[in-house]
Amino acid sequence: MFEREDETVERVIQHLRRPVAIDPGLDARVMREIAQAPPNGRRVKLWPLLAAAAVLATVLVVRPWIWNAATTVDTLQFVLVAPQAASVALVGDFNDWDPARSPMQTAHGVWATVVRLAPGRYRYAFLVNGVEWRADPSAPAAKDDEFGTPSSVVTVGGRGS
Amino acid sequence: MMLAALLLVTQVAVQDPRLERLDPDTRVAVAAVVDSAHGVGLPVEPIIQRALEGVTKGASGARIVAAVRRLAVDLGTARTALGTSAAEAELEAAVAALRAGATPDVLANLRDVRRPPLTIALAVLADLVASGVPADSAAAAVLALAPKARDADLVEFRRAVERDITLGAPPGAATSVRLNAGAFDAPGTSSTQGNPNTPRRRSRP
Amino acid sequence: MGINSVEPSDAELVRRVRTGDTGAYGALVSRYRDRLGRYAVHMIGDREDAEEALQDSFVRAYRSLARCDDPARFGAWLYGILVNRCRTTGARAARRRRTFVHDAQALDLAAHADQADRLDWTDAVDRALARLAPDYREAFLLKHVQDLEYEEIAELTGAGVSALKMRVKRAREQLQKYLREAEHV
Repeated sequence: MFEREDETVERVIQHLRRPVAIDPGLDARVMREIAQAPPNGRRVKLWPLLAAAAVLATVLVVRPWIWNAATTVDTLQFVLVAPQAASVALVGDFNDWDPARSPMQTAHGVWATVVRLAPGRYRYAFLVNGVEWRADPSAPAAKDDEFGTPSSVVTVGGRGS
Repeated sequence: MMLAALLLVTQVAVQDPRLERLDPDTRVAVAAVVDSAHGVGLPVEPIIQRALEGVTKGASGARIVAAVRRLAVDLGTARTALGTSAAEAELEAAVAALRAGATPDVLANLRDVRRPPLTIALAVLADLVASGVPADSAAAAVLALAPKARDADLVEFRRAVERDITLGAPPGAATSVRLNAGAFDAPGTSSTQGNPNTPRRRSRP
Repeated sequence: MGINSVEPSDAELVRRVRTGDTGAYGALVSRYRDRLGRYAVHMIGDREDAEEALQDSFVRAYRSLARCDDPARFGAWLYGILVNRCRTTGARAARRRRTFVHDAQALDLAAHADQADRLDWTDAVDRALARLAPDYREAFLLKHVQDLEYEEIAELTGAGVSALKMRVKRAREQLQKYLREAEHV
């Protein structure tokens, strides 16, 4: 009887210990809120904070149409966690797929860059160490990749609310 | 006259230095596709980007040419469905929707029931399919929401469905349940009321 | 090269944040988001509210970082903020949990017996957890799911160790009872 109780509760515990999927955009929202209100009431210049806001916690793209779908948003932060990477570039329809155009900066293995985009639907991918293609796990996959490597899509813009 | 027009058209591709990244044979073939598209009034930038994507990804010339030809055809199909006034972003999103399995009729219906731009609606349709939702279910859901929903509502709908799928719900069921919940089709009302899984766009003190 | 780099400690990251390196806070968020997120989801029972609580907690912690007396124990301090935040959200969300999954099951899970079983179990656990008194649920999750020591939980919750042990014991008993009831429905 007592043993069975322990078994059931242990099963519950193991079940509850499984990872829980947290919205990947949460990190970005935290960093954005922080950028708007620094600690101790200090005034901080906008750009360093925007750069800091690009350093996010997990593999994610800050999808602007999720953040702010009601208006046309044209500044996006793309983020990839790749602690082992020596370099990461963001390439896509917005920069002629040219790795030299959007090299990403790292802080603690979190690679980030900010890109300004006009409304539209863009395909993109991360190029790690100049050789390895990675899609963005937190963004919709580009289902029609014709070149045998993964890509993601981001859609910018939208009708006002 | 014809020759002059042809020369003018041909310059579009020839003058684009980005295509120099292609090998000579591929560049000629891609330039022909670009010029042809330009000649019939289709946007050429998506075609150029697709070629550049292929180059950067190390694809063969044949594969690049096949990809841009297919894209040009699909852009044409999209424009036929959406009409000549469709913007480039709409056409690109429409290609994604077509490739996801939406029929040209779905695109035309969407155009009839929704005020432009249709970019987000089409993108949501394509992304739902990418999340595993059957194409007909995704199309039916977007068409049902399209007349009234704001772009933001459509995006919220997609996010809610994605979230339910992440939680283990079958994609088709997630779509129909969210659709039937009716939380996304009322413009001007809060679409998050009483709906535990919708994304937050909240104002807090 | 950034390869095989040693992870900076919490204390080091807190120090960097305090000297203006806001990006270092991103690394702290990264470090704690999943662990704390799991607690919030199970404690509150509603994912949306849980993520909101988590987000608020990270922002509050940042804004009051000057009050983190022991940066080496940033994690424990952050836990405390989240535990408090979850208490204020708590009950109102608990009853809303998992309503969707039921709908989905009704629609077309019948053909997928394994998945249906899994969802049934998930649902049963969620419901049993939701029926626990908040302080029982809190103690149970912190002890058994988050793997904290009683002394740490005492520090976070303000409750005594013996009281916490009693809450965890009651929680275990009640979970067992509720799940047995669910089996017979």
